[in-house]
Amino acid sequence: MKDKLALRLAALFLIIAAILVAVATVAVRNISRATASSDWVNQTQALILELGSLRAGFHASDAALRALAMGGGEQEAAACRLALAQLADSFEVVKALTRSDPAQSAIVKRLGVLAAGRETLTTESLAARQTGKLDQVRNLLAADVAAGTAGEISRTVEKLKQEQMALLAARDSEAFRQAQTTRWTVWGGVILNFVLLAFTAWLVVDDLASRRRAAAVLQAANEQLETRVRERTAELVAANEKLQTENLERRWSAQALEHQLRYNEAIVNSLSDPVFVLTKAQNISRVNPAVAHVTGWEPPQVINRPLLGFVRLLESPRHFSPGIIDPVAQALKEGRDLRDLPAVVHDRMDREIPVRFTLFPLRDRDKVVGGVVILRLENPPA
Amino acid sequence: MKSHILIVDDEAPIREILAQMLGQHGFRVTEAATAAEAHQLVQRETPDLIISDLQLEESDGLAMVARIKGDRPQLPVILLTGVLFDDEVVRETLSKVVTAYLPKTTPLARILEEVRRVLES
Repeated sequence: MKDKLALRLAALFLIIAAILVAVATVAVRNISRATASSDWVNQTQALILELGSLRAGFHASDAALRALAMGGGEQEAAACRLALAQLADSFEVVKALTRSDPAQSAIVKRLGVLAAGRETLTTESLAARQTGKLDQVRNLLAADVAAGTAGEISRTVEKLKQEQMALLAARDSEAFRQAQTTRWTVWGGVILNFVLLAFTAWLVVDDLASRRRAAAVLQAANEQLETRVRERTAELVAANEKLQTENLERRWSAQALEHQLRYNEAIVNSLSDPVFVLTKAQNISRVNPAVAHVTGWEPPQVINRPLLGFVRLLESPRHFSPGIIDPVAQALKEGRDLRDLPAVVHDRMDREIPVRFTLFPLRDRDKVVGGVVILRLENPPA
Repeated sequence: MKSHILIVDDEAPIREILAQMLGQHGFRVTEAATAAEAHQLVQRETPDLIISDLQLEESDGLAMVARIKGDRPQLPVILLTGVLFDDEVVRETLSKVVTAYLPKTTPLARILEEVRRVLES
């Protein structure tokens, strides 16, 4: 986006510079033309004026010559020579002014020939007048009128003057057009440059607005991202705390359970009387350390074996029917205690140790699932 | 200001887990492994609450509590023990000595609730 704008601005400034250069070139060229035209106009106007003087001088000399022919004296002769001299001066000026134009030069050359004829006529007329031959003067003038020299000179000068006037008018129109062209070119260039500058300003303003919008969008996106990061972090922290809590809870639960089991086991193990825990089928599921201490049987040798393989009741309880073969099974079935019955336990050396037998049914939620047998030694060791 | 809780238990893992849990919830925790140590700590700085096991080396929690309460009768005590008592025993016997009784099988979240309840009351 930035590079695109820079390219556009560079292109616009190049166009503006090109227009400025073009306008300046056109203006300078037209100014040069105007200057050259001004010189030409001055020269042409000088020529027109000089042609007027030439024509006037010619008429003056012609008038002086005729006055001389009409019987004039020295005064008219002097006037005639003065008019001739002025005519010659004007002619030299006209000749100089038309030197650069071959067509005009040719016309002026022709005028020179005619003027020379007039000078000869004047000279001859003056000479004839000095000798008093007025008739000869009149004849010379009549011959001149007949030749039409004066009229030709007058027409030629007038024609040249009219041509110069026409050229001047044409040059004036051309100068006006050039001035208009220059004016339109300069104003057109200025207006176009203003339009381009306005477009450039609009581009810059639009780009700034776009950048502001983009910055705002970016800022909003960043804020949204930060919010999401904060939320996600909070979620992770909460999840981590929950995990830690759950982990702690599990450790606590295991610890409490282990403590409870150890405590319960300690209660049984702390008894010095042998204790047997039975299943409902009278198999031994657990013993306390006193069993090994009293009988020499280690737990692996007694676990999952029938109690009757180690302990034998010497008599049935009185409240049992005489037909009951297995009072332990019957007690467990009925959920009854057997208390303080005479019995013997076989030790590892196959000796019989007299004990008092007590059985408590083991209940789990009001259901008998086994029993606990405690043997109290008849003759405990000292 | 953080509430100060004294944990009395002869088992280090129990003390450690309880201290971690209570610490996470903004409590200041002090630990004692024996009744004598607990008594010394209470003498130095009276806690806002005592959580004690029942069975301690060389003494028991209830005896220790009775001794401490001789000086500070308003000090609340939660008995947290593996010895299970039925409700009647708790209601008629333990409630005269301790503020609350919780078996050690109680979840930590419930223990925390009880701690807050006792402290607020």
